Amino acid sequence: MKKTLNRTFLIIGVLLLAAPLFMGPYAQSVARSVLMYLMLAISWNMLVSSGQLSFGIAGFFGLGGYASTLAIVYLGMPPILSLVFAFILVGAAAWLLGLVALRLRGMYFAISTLALAEIFRVIIHNWHGFTGGPNGKLLPKLIFDGASVPTYLLMAVLAAGTIAFSMWFRRSKFHFAVTSIRDNEIAAMSTGINIYKTLLMVFAVTSAVQGLVGASFANMYGFVTPESSFNMNYTLLPLAMTLLGGLYTTWGPVLGAVLLGIVGEYLKLYIPYGHLIVYGIIIVLVILFMPNGIVGLSGKLLNGFEARKKGEVQL
Amino acid sequence: MRQNKAVIGSAVGFIGVMIIILLIAKPSALIFGIQRAGLYAAIALPMALVLGIVHIVNLAHGEMMMIAAYLTYSICVAFGLDPLVAMVPTAVIMFFVGMLLFRFTIRYALKAPELNQLILTFGLAMVLSQGINLLATSQPRKLSVDYVTSSATIGNVSFGTYDFIFLAVAVIFLTGLMLFLKKTRLGKAAMAVGQNPVGAQFVGINVISTYTIIFAIASAMLGIMGAFFITKMSIFPTVGGAYTMKSFCLVAMAGIGNLPMVLLSSLVLGISESAVQSIPGGTGWSPLVFFGLIIAVILFRSYAKTAGVK
Repeated sequence: MKKTLNRTFLIIGVLLLAAPLFMGPYAQSVARSVLMYLMLAISWNMLVSSGQLSFGIAGFFGLGGYASTLAIVYLGMPPILSLVFAFILVGAAAWLLGLVALRLRGMYFAISTLALAEIFRVIIHNWHGFTGGPNGKLLPKLIFDGASVPTYLLMAVLAAGTIAFSMWFRRSKFHFAVTSIRDNEIAAMSTGINIYKTLLMVFAVTSAVQGLVGASFANMYGFVTPESSFNMNYTLLPLAMTLLGGLYTTWGPVLGAVLLGIVGEYLKLYIPYGHLIVYGIIIVLVILFMPNGIVGLSGKLLNGFEARKKGEVQL
Repeated sequence: MRQNKAVIGSAVGFIGVMIIILLIAKPSALIFGIQRAGLYAAIALPMALVLGIVHIVNLAHGEMMMIAAYLTYSICVAFGLDPLVAMVPTAVIMFFVGMLLFRFTIRYALKAPELNQLILTFGLAMVLSQGINLLATSQPRKLSVDYVTSSATIGNVSFGTYDFIFLAVAVIFLTGLMLFLKKTRLGKAAMAVGQNPVGAQFVGINVISTYTIIFAIASAMLGIMGAFFITKMSIFPTVGGAYTMKSFCLVAMAGIGNLPMVLLSSLVLGISESAVQSIPGGTGWSPLVFFGLIIAVILFRSYAKTAGVK
């Protein structure tokens, strides 16, 4: 049953990914932002699977954007290479910061990541000579000269790669290590898992993905500023999407990002100020009434059907 | 206990050294730092209360103060009252707002994993700040009150005297809370619940309603603070976020459940922040010092804790 479910999702996913190609530039730009949030949501979900709550998505997102932009402006890097550069740089930065921050747990770690995001913003805001200060930096030209189809294809490839990575992750031994760390650290330690190293790895890789997304965002829109690149939205939206779709699954964040991404586009049109309140409300309601999200709920329903088919009565 | 003494010692030492340096170099920065410290302590004390007794990190803490400030603002505009008079209805309203928030949301996350609690209060913070954004737009608002500009001069240093009111509020909050927790029946019950909820339930204390009342009291304190806040500062929907983090930092520095230490840790933060600001060109960087302090303090606390376990 789980296999068929996965396969159906896969087919629907490929169709959805291909669909905007035939629907004109507006659909493609909406789809691009959906894919962007999708990658952020998946990466955040992978870290949360280890029980570490990060509020620093916006920080690594902005850092990636700045890394790519500055590499293009000062080093003349080709855009694609600058994405790779941002991925590596943010990963390395997260690894170094993780060396310290991952000594912390629970609320201390969560607040430290919130503070880290703010630290990045303040440094970039004040380093006028190098980062352009509050005015930010402009890119000389957009990626693929701003052509809609290749840009969308690039995002689709990155998103498919992230999803594939997340699926591989869920089958690898990392997943078991990470889940056991979330459930009980002492038990995990006594089965021989190096908790610190595992968390460090997951933290670095997921942050690098967030940096990559930030870099591609900067290349798509051609500018970075401290206020837009480190915007709280990039933390809030992936959180709401993951929670609505279902924590600790691959398809939860995907589903949540597609749903909320499209709904969000309409909200933006009708409520220009304060449409983010919807995401806040979703977070609160999901945590209170549906902590496993849509995927968890549908999984429960499916299991119920299975049991009924087999003649087991289950309530 | 020995660790606590070391912390107090280093805090007092740090403050002493800073005071001497600033007294020689820039006395106005010292006064400004002390006033700052009062503001921080007054906002952090309700969080210390909630964290110490309900054991919930309320990431909507600063946002609740922001709501209170907007409430005071609209009462003042609607009825032409002085903010310090409008404080009374604001505090009463905030008491019930806190009660409702706790009753309908946070209560259900009490038994959930810490992760869920953090996400929940983060969501609440977003709902509050974006709700205000929706209702009042992001335009900054300010009340102009004439008595806040009073100033005094000692030697050749002149400074605003009104800001000392924050320090006074912090001291009143602290003594009030200590008296409440030590002397009253409800306060003693709250202490018991904070130490051991299960045990408290066994001796017949209603744990949930104690939590609710404590949370509501903390909200009312934030209501009072919101009214003081708007007399001096301009407000906008995201003004509270920084105070949530600052308050958490101060409470973590003081040690959870240790109310008097909050005052001391606020002095460390306020004075070092204004010291950095007094360096030419340092104004933009001062948040960095604060965040650096957060991380250093949290790390120090957690290392000390893990070392203690071993």
